Amino acid sequence: MPAWLVAALAAFAVLNVVLVIVTYVTLLERKFAARMQTRIGPYRVGPHGLLQPIADAVKLVMKEDIVPDAADRPVYNLAPIVFLIPCMLIFATIPFAPGLGVADLNIGILFFLAVSAMEIVGLFMAGWGSNNKYALLSAMRAVNQIISYDLPFIFSALVPVLLTGSLRLSDIAAAQSGLWFVFYPVIGQLAFLFFVISTLAAENRVPFDILEAESELVAGFRVEYSGMKFAIIQLGEYAHMVGSSFLGALLFLGAWSGPGPEWLGPIWFLIKAMLVFLLVTWVRWSFVRIRVDQILTLSWKLLLPATLLLLATTAVVIVWRTSGLT
Amino acid sequence: MASPESLTTIVMAVLRAMRVTFLNLFRKPVTVHYPDVERKYPNRFRGLLALTYDQETGEENCIGCRLCEYVCPPAVIKVEMLKAEKRNYAKTFTLELYACEFCELCVQVCPTDAIIMMKSFDLATTDRREMLLDKDRLHAIGLQHQPSWATGNRLRDAQTPPKGAPRPHPPQEPPAAKPAPSPTGASA
Amino acid sequence: MIDTAVQSQVAIDYSAGERLTMNMGPQHPSAHGVFRAILTLEGETVVGVDAVIGYLHRCHEKLAETLTYAQYPSIASKTDYVAAMTSEFAYVLAAEQIGVVDVPKRAQYIRVIAAELQRIASHLLWLGTWCMDMGGALGGGATVFLYCIRERELILDLFESLVGARLLYGLFQVGGVRYDLPDGWPQQCRDTLATIEQRLIEYERLLEDNPFFLARARGVGFITRELAEDVGVAGPLLRGSGVNFDLRRNLPYSSYGDFTFSVPVEPEGDCFARYRVRMVEFRQSIAIVRQALDRLPDGPISSRPALKSVAQIRIQKGEAYARVEGPRGEVGCYLIADGSPKPYRMKWRGASFSNLSVLPHVLPGHKVADVVAIMGSVDPVFGEVDR
Repeated sequence: MPAWLVAALAAFAVLNVVLVIVTYVTLLERKFAARMQTRIGPYRVGPHGLLQPIADAVKLVMKEDIVPDAADRPVYNLAPIVFLIPCMLIFATIPFAPGLGVADLNIGILFFLAVSAMEIVGLFMAGWGSNNKYALLSAMRAVNQIISYDLPFIFSALVPVLLTGSLRLSDIAAAQSGLWFVFYPVIGQLAFLFFVISTLAAENRVPFDILEAESELVAGFRVEYSGMKFAIIQLGEYAHMVGSSFLGALLFLGAWSGPGPEWLGPIWFLIKAMLVFLLVTWVRWSFVRIRVDQILTLSWKLLLPATLLLLATTAVVIVWRTSGLT
Repeated sequence: MASPESLTTIVMAVLRAMRVTFLNLFRKPVTVHYPDVERKYPNRFRGLLALTYDQETGEENCIGCRLCEYVCPPAVIKVEMLKAEKRNYAKTFTLELYACEFCELCVQVCPTDAIIMMKSFDLATTDRREMLLDKDRLHAIGLQHQPSWATGNRLRDAQTPPKGAPRPHPPQEPPAAKPAPSPTGASA
Repeated sequence: MIDTAVQSQVAIDYSAGERLTMNMGPQHPSAHGVFRAILTLEGETVVGVDAVIGYLHRCHEKLAETLTYAQYPSIASKTDYVAAMTSEFAYVLAAEQIGVVDVPKRAQYIRVIAAELQRIASHLLWLGTWCMDMGGALGGGATVFLYCIRERELILDLFESLVGARLLYGLFQVGGVRYDLPDGWPQQCRDTLATIEQRLIEYERLLEDNPFFLARARGVGFITRELAEDVGVAGPLLRGSGVNFDLRRNLPYSSYGDFTFSVPVEPEGDCFARYRVRMVEFRQSIAIVRQALDRLPDGPISSRPALKSVAQIRIQKGEAYARVEGPRGEVGCYLIADGSPKPYRMKWRGASFSNLSVLPHVLPGHKVADVVAIMGSVDPVFGEVDR
């Protein structure tokens, strides 16, 4: 079979699996959040609510697609797709098992970080194309917030890269067959902590979701979207969240390493990614949100210096260790 | 802002808060699986209104005195009296349940315990006309559900005990035997 | 390229620098009721507030002229529907003051128990909705909200065993109360109070040192002592600004003088101070209910014969103003009676109405996101504001 066909089939398979995971991750979040609030989540649609995401999808497809009169049509219509594509594309470089991935680029993590930042374009297009001052204000704040938190995100993700010495994601995963990076004294835990905080903020999750509470709890940049376009935006957000969880599991929790036979690797990877996702969800459902100026203060005055310092310290520690060995 | 002590206090506070949410994960959910599970109504529940029949004779209790009509604050009851030889009846008795406030004043003033409230609140309907209850419907409701403890005579006796009746000792300690179960069965 | 004709359809008021007029309309998810605040913003900061009320006006004061003293207490609950016992209390106290009606001791204690349980329930709702405003319906705010509602359900179950209704009661009537405590109720009440005391500790762990919560609540919404006294606010707003005034202690009514409780006062005047005041009030209310249950005297629950007809209660000519300390502040009822079964005139002093008038003084200078935090800590209920 020609190589491009193999790659296309792999991409198709990964896309479908990712879509299913993303859809069911919404159910997981709802059940987990419900249990934390001493109630049961979706329960009646299918056994224990297992058909709830499908019911939601069918409902959204059946909804009327309302386009505001004054909206800038091309921008408004393209925005959800431009938002979704980077969020799906990030799964291209993630290896689900040694050798099992769509494209194991030698600059894997760079590709991930760069492409995931491109969702900002789609987000801003959504805010601008809606021709709604609340959507625009919220989109501008979202851009501000995501850019501010992408820097700590990148720097904390670079710590495992430094520890491995390679940008290729499968190398980073393979380097953790001994000790997971999160267990490295101080450096590993701090890097994981900053990674989680930056993910929360880059994802517009509580406590950093002021842009959804913007303008008195109108839905921010998504306010003018209904029906399937809204579903695509939601899908993109959750896909980005799941992708970041996979990245976190890969960078810090050892990806596919775990007890048992080789073929259990992807299952362990999925479990670890879900654990990272549940950690983010746990934080989301425990705290109130903070104001946008406080969010930006936290990023520029605290997280950015902290991650830079951490990166520098990691570099020093590595040089000291390698020189100490010789 | 970045001093180590304040950073540790911040981290400890965040972890403390997350611990609370985590511990709640393991509590039994408080969801009542209505309508699969029937809700336990307390004794004095103010539910649907109904007209009653006399236990022994089987006659209607309502004597058409219209006291309930006069006391009702939103004036949802309309009664017409029918005079007969031994006693009076209500010729028509309409109650607009959609406007009723469920204040129980009509129950309180009724001299014959004719109108009472039931221990049921299943009134959801798609047609508002079903909530304009006439006499037959009210009597049917009275036969369908459990009546509440609070009838007119009991309410009035609680406020003005009849002469000679001993004042009930207020229960300050739980009874020596099994403590009285909570009427709603509610617990956290 | 943006079509300039289309752009002009969105009328953004950019005059005078970057001033923007934004409507926090009568329908908004900030769960307080129907309230319209027209905010004038300069960038991110509020520079002016124009409050519009009246969306929930239901002519209570005129209604009281057409209903007798026997009928109106059930309706009075609907002014402050979150703390229904308080409004009924004020009305019957006013009628009893004019008519010089004696209320038996047992009825007074039951009234105190009901009012304090209502305070706990109302503060639980306040805490839940305030955190939900600040934290979002999909986030930590919803968690605190659901915890508070879970505890409030326990108190509503207590009221359901006592009265039969969960939200709007009709417990009070002129001369006493309508219902007596059923068997097993004091024990159920004590169990509920014990549970709530435990859960309060959990809420404090969840919120007190929480840096995110403190960032939203501390240093936000300062009401100075002078402003509080000038504008005439009452309740936790007043005590959170350093004024040591509580009607239950300063002007005791209905045997409040028999109970020992402390009145929390916090000097700072920001949202966090008001939060602390209400958290302490929880515990003081629990203490009062326990004391009342321990010392509950025997006796009748009403000094007048039981209600048998609508015009049974007549109050002689006179006028009185009765005040009670509700969860939101001072609820007052001014009644003019003329000897007939219906009052000549009845006027409510709504606690939230006076509390809201502090908003145009407090909001300017804050960010938009602080508006919901401050509104939440003022805790208005619009049934009381508009009546």
